[in-house]
Amino acid sequence: MAQSQPVKMRAAVESVNEVRGITRREPTLWRRIVRARFYYLMLVPCFALLLTFSYYPAFSAVYNSFFVFDYGLPSHFIGLANFTELFGDPIFLGALWHVFELTVFGVITGVTVPLAVAEWIFRLRSQRAQYIYRILMIWPAVVPEVVGLLIWQFIYDPDSGALNSFLQAIGHPEWAQAWLANPDLALYALMFSAFPFVGGAAVLIYLAGLQGISKEIFDAAAIDGASARRRFWSIDLPLIRGQIKLNMVLAILTGMQAFIGSLLLTNGGPLNATNVPILYMYQEAFTYGRFGYASAIGVLVFLAVFLLTFVNLKVMREKS
Amino acid sequence: MAIGAHPTGTPVPLRRSPGAVAKFLRSGDWWRHLLLIIVCIFLFIPMALTIVISTKTISQFNVAPLSVTFPMHWDNYVTAGQFVAHYIFNSIIISGVTCLGVLLVGSLTAYVFARFTFPGKTFMYQGILVLLMIPPILTLVPAFLLVKNLNLLNTWGALILPYMAFGLAFAIFILRTFYEGMPEELFEAARIDGASELTVFFRIAAPLSKSILGVVAVLNILGTWNNYVWPLVTIQSDNLFPLALGLTAYRQAYYTLWGPLMAGYVIGTIPLIILFAFTSKLFVDGLSGGALKL
Repeated sequence: MAQSQPVKMRAAVESVNEVRGITRREPTLWRRIVRARFYYLMLVPCFALLLTFSYYPAFSAVYNSFFVFDYGLPSHFIGLANFTELFGDPIFLGALWHVFELTVFGVITGVTVPLAVAEWIFRLRSQRAQYIYRILMIWPAVVPEVVGLLIWQFIYDPDSGALNSFLQAIGHPEWAQAWLANPDLALYALMFSAFPFVGGAAVLIYLAGLQGISKEIFDAAAIDGASARRRFWSIDLPLIRGQIKLNMVLAILTGMQAFIGSLLLTNGGPLNATNVPILYMYQEAFTYGRFGYASAIGVLVFLAVFLLTFVNLKVMREKS
Repeated sequence: MAIGAHPTGTPVPLRRSPGAVAKFLRSGDWWRHLLLIIVCIFLFIPMALTIVISTKTISQFNVAPLSVTFPMHWDNYVTAGQFVAHYIFNSIIISGVTCLGVLLVGSLTAYVFARFTFPGKTFMYQGILVLLMIPPILTLVPAFLLVKNLNLLNTWGALILPYMAFGLAFAIFILRTFYEGMPEELFEAARIDGASELTVFFRIAAPLSKSILGVVAVLNILGTWNNYVWPLVTIQSDNLFPLALGLTAYRQAYYTLWGPLMAGYVIGTIPLIILFAFTSKLFVDGLSGGALKL
């Protein structure tokens, strides 16, 4: 212990110097790597996990998409044939259209409804009421996604579901529908399973933005006689543009990748009326064992998500 | 409201305290409260409905599916509990182990990235940030093949290891920012006293980052707890099912026995309610406090 003290001391001084950016002589790269060996050692557990379970699958997804790779059969390279097949596949093209509709609906509701709710909460005089509503908005997040969807499945149930029972109770049994079994209605039923469209996190993000606006601006507007509506359009909206952007990107990301609803409520049916690309990928891989084809769908969706997010950020940045 | 003051300065009799009510009506807060309460009602209807139905027998449900009926049959919860309890236990183990692993590995890694310089650091860190951009769906199929080749299919390892890898990127991203903000003097003092790097980390950095570790832990648990698709493709044995998967198995077994079915859904929600009761303040403050924007 006593012997190692000077060594430790030197190491301590060295590392302190290193952090401060003091270097006596520029050591060679190899020497610096050797000196940092302990830091690399501490990074080993993390990178062992990431290399195995994150980087390798991501690369092999792209790799597999160029192969015919059916479950249990030898695979062989086919270039872009999976992708060309996809764009002639009516189920895939239909799925693309559905995810477009779902995402547009999700973005519109996911940006506007939480904004309205956040404005209502923000303008309340009582701080305590503001706090209570904030907590209430976030609470439904505790209901597991699967439970939420199973409840909606019950609500839409054609025989004993809550929606049809409700229509009967208000005297319009003829309005009752097989909501999830009717190809013309199923997609809309799926959209409305997010009702009332108040994402708790989105509301909190907006509220954080509104609270970040300085009080002087509101006071100045009030002195100039700005109405509540004028204040909303001319002050609140421009100043929380960053939060609107964030919620929009989040809504696009979740919309493009959402498929648990389709999987649990309808399994893509009836007649593929609610199929979305990710669900189709899942079916191709785990029902039909076409891993190469499924990987191609995954790669396409990834590219679409990436491009959309990128374009969105670019356009928004130019505006501001 | 101690003294109600009229706009013109004339004192107002305090007996009926007209100021508060009038102000409340004039401020327009009443319609905001009204709208917000309506939103809250819609938010909570599905859960309320579930609780109402969970206490019904089949005949009670057939007569009045949507209203409260008496006597309430709480024994539905006993039936459901027998079915759902071990799924909850499974999920607690899976999410708990994942969360501990992410906290341990993630904080150590974030600490190294935050406080030391070494060749290749920027490249390695950006390699981790890139993972935040890769959606889990891209890797669903190859990750399944990988887990299959590693002979992990139908074990909890197939869940916990990929969950950890997936949770790490985000945890490191959050924690690194935090560790970078800690004053250097703290660490210098300890090092001069002869503490090793690991001691500095475990005795100084980790205890001081308890609250941020809590936030990371809650977000991580929420993510793994609700995951449905990954266990669906990797776990076949009913006795290994996590809760999300178990509930759909339960649905298949009890379909149209609405009372016990809904009781199972309620029981399945309880663990997160408990977690949230202790951490919602942390969560709300975290999301509201930090100026989140792009």
